[in-house]
Amino acid sequence: MPSHVPNSSGLQRLIAQLAPLLIVCAIVFALPVLLNNDFLLNKVARYLVLGILTISLGLSWGFGGILNLGQAMSFGLGSYAMAMALKLKTVPVHTGASGLPDFMVWNNVQHLPWFWEPFRSLSFAIAAGLIVPALVAAALGWFMFRGRVTGVYVSIITLATMVVINLVIIDQQSYTGGFNGITDLAQLEIFGVAFDAYGRATYYLVASCVLLSLLVAFAFTRTKAGLIVQAIRDHESRVRYFGYDVALYQIFVFALSAAIAGLAGMLYTVVMEFASPTFLGVQLSLSVVVWCAVGGRQSLVGAFLGAVLVAGMQGALSESAAFLETWTLVMGALFVLVVLFLPKGLAGLAQVVWRWIVQRRQAASGRVAEGVGQTEGSA
Amino acid sequence: MDQFIEQIVTGLSIGSILLLVALGLSIIYGSMGIINLAHGEFVMLGAYAAWVFHTYLGLGLLASLVPIFLVVAAFGWVIERYVLSLLNNRPLDTILATWGVGIMLQQAVRLSVGSELRYVQLPPALSDSMDVFGIPISSYRVFLFVVSIALFGATWLLMNRTPVGMKLRAIIQDRSVAASFGINAKRVYALTFAYGAGLAGLAGALVSPLKSVSPDMGTGYVVDAFMVVVLGGVQSLAGTVASAFILGELSGGIAFLQNDTVAKAIVLLAIVVLIRFRPEGLFTARVRA
Repeated sequence: MPSHVPNSSGLQRLIAQLAPLLIVCAIVFALPVLLNNDFLLNKVARYLVLGILTISLGLSWGFGGILNLGQAMSFGLGSYAMAMALKLKTVPVHTGASGLPDFMVWNNVQHLPWFWEPFRSLSFAIAAGLIVPALVAAALGWFMFRGRVTGVYVSIITLATMVVINLVIIDQQSYTGGFNGITDLAQLEIFGVAFDAYGRATYYLVASCVLLSLLVAFAFTRTKAGLIVQAIRDHESRVRYFGYDVALYQIFVFALSAAIAGLAGMLYTVVMEFASPTFLGVQLSLSVVVWCAVGGRQSLVGAFLGAVLVAGMQGALSESAAFLETWTLVMGALFVLVVLFLPKGLAGLAQVVWRWIVQRRQAASGRVAEGVGQTEGSA
Repeated sequence: MDQFIEQIVTGLSIGSILLLVALGLSIIYGSMGIINLAHGEFVMLGAYAAWVFHTYLGLGLLASLVPIFLVVAAFGWVIERYVLSLLNNRPLDTILATWGVGIMLQQAVRLSVGSELRYVQLPPALSDSMDVFGIPISSYRVFLFVVSIALFGATWLLMNRTPVGMKLRAIIQDRSVAASFGINAKRVYALTFAYGAGLAGLAGALVSPLKSVSPDMGTGYVVDAFMVVVLGGVQSLAGTVASAFILGELSGGIAFLQNDTVAKAIVLLAIVVLIRFRPEGLFTARVRA
């Protein structure tokens, strides 16, 4: 986010940049007051979670220039981490003789596999939901960026890796629930607060995570490392000649983005009450790219709103099959148009409009020479 | 021994389908640098065209191959002209744009024809089976093998022995120099894309009797075909052929030893590793930049 108000002090600029973020979060927090419908609130929470996932892609794609077509991989890993913990907490009626998850009993698994064992602890699961995606991403990032793989090839590798993990999860039915995923979960309970998928508590949990991820991502883009990451996006070899370890910064932003996606995945399990291989499917992964592009890949708030609006629209129209089909067609067209004519998405459009309004107002209030000179200079 | 030969023949059959689908993709990617995610949808359009010609016009599959090629090529031409040519020098965005186009094509078919599975009849002349090395195999699969090789040959000739092919190769080497010699790069690109799309349409029509035809049938093909292109090397037609059959044999072999899922996962992993260490593909001689 480049600054457009050169004369104001750093603090003012910070406030100006934070304003859209805080306004959006305020609306998100205020929504339950207006929406007195638990079913609807659950749906909105779902879109908010997808919004967090899209923020994570915006961070790696919009700011890092890394088009990760496998962003849903981190999302899915987070989602499974949460689902495994919640599955082990279900009441024994559902879980077979010795407390084994039901699908393991059906698949003749006798003992809980070793990698399920630590998920008896919820805090371990939550930590794993963040750290496992980050580590996997860091390893993949190390593999790619140390070899100076760039551009299209990054997209192919990330996509292929996600498909491999997806295939393995579907194949290893006795340990992962296979095609059906992990269903029949207990409620998440932290410090005595139960998070019912249709309850207010869950909504506020999701809303807080939206705020948290937006702030973390925003803060990162303001740090020195964040600036270097953006410099790498714009001109990789120039940054390398300056002596920076380009791969290291790329790995870091890649892993940070994966951790945020993992957080979104965990929340998704809580909101949806199951985990499924489709959570790390190609379909979702590519949809995230669309949301991000439509909202504006170089704006965190834009990416978030893109996901919430487009996914929300899709959800609202899914009541009727004919509507949904037509909408998907319109979606495709909209997406092509955005790619062709609005590379910065709706956020870019909003920025242009906003600048135009400011310019008009300055012109009107008689500060013509100074105001116009400034805005055009920074444009 | 029989089993071994049977595996080889199965692999060849998988490979010839892969080659059919990958050939168009390889031309488009190799010459224009466009990763065409709508390629699977061109395959799907070809399959539907075969179904339409058969159901409404009573044309047999073999008789409708040429019209199918032309129809899908026309689609490709329009898409290149009105979408992709606006995206010069933005390779990552062409992935997104072609994917959006793919969604639109898929949805348009779903809305107009419906999402039920459709079936295309085998050509009666090719519906029996014949013996190859003592193994009975459907004549249609042998036919596919022959056609895929023939199409490769035709494409090679087109690229290397015709004026259009020469212009295209000139543009690949240096677009602005080629343009200054009076080559209309836009037109050649549009033709190339149309040709690649037409090939995909042919592939779709040819595989339609073996698989059921549905709006989302293309999705699987585009990934496989892309892997073939990456493995074969970007600007190498011969590499595409070799890698199609290598991948065919590999998937066939591993699927025989393990299962389909594991085969797919292993092949994908192998390709990921390959991209990392040899992004130019297995069969590309190093060319001047």
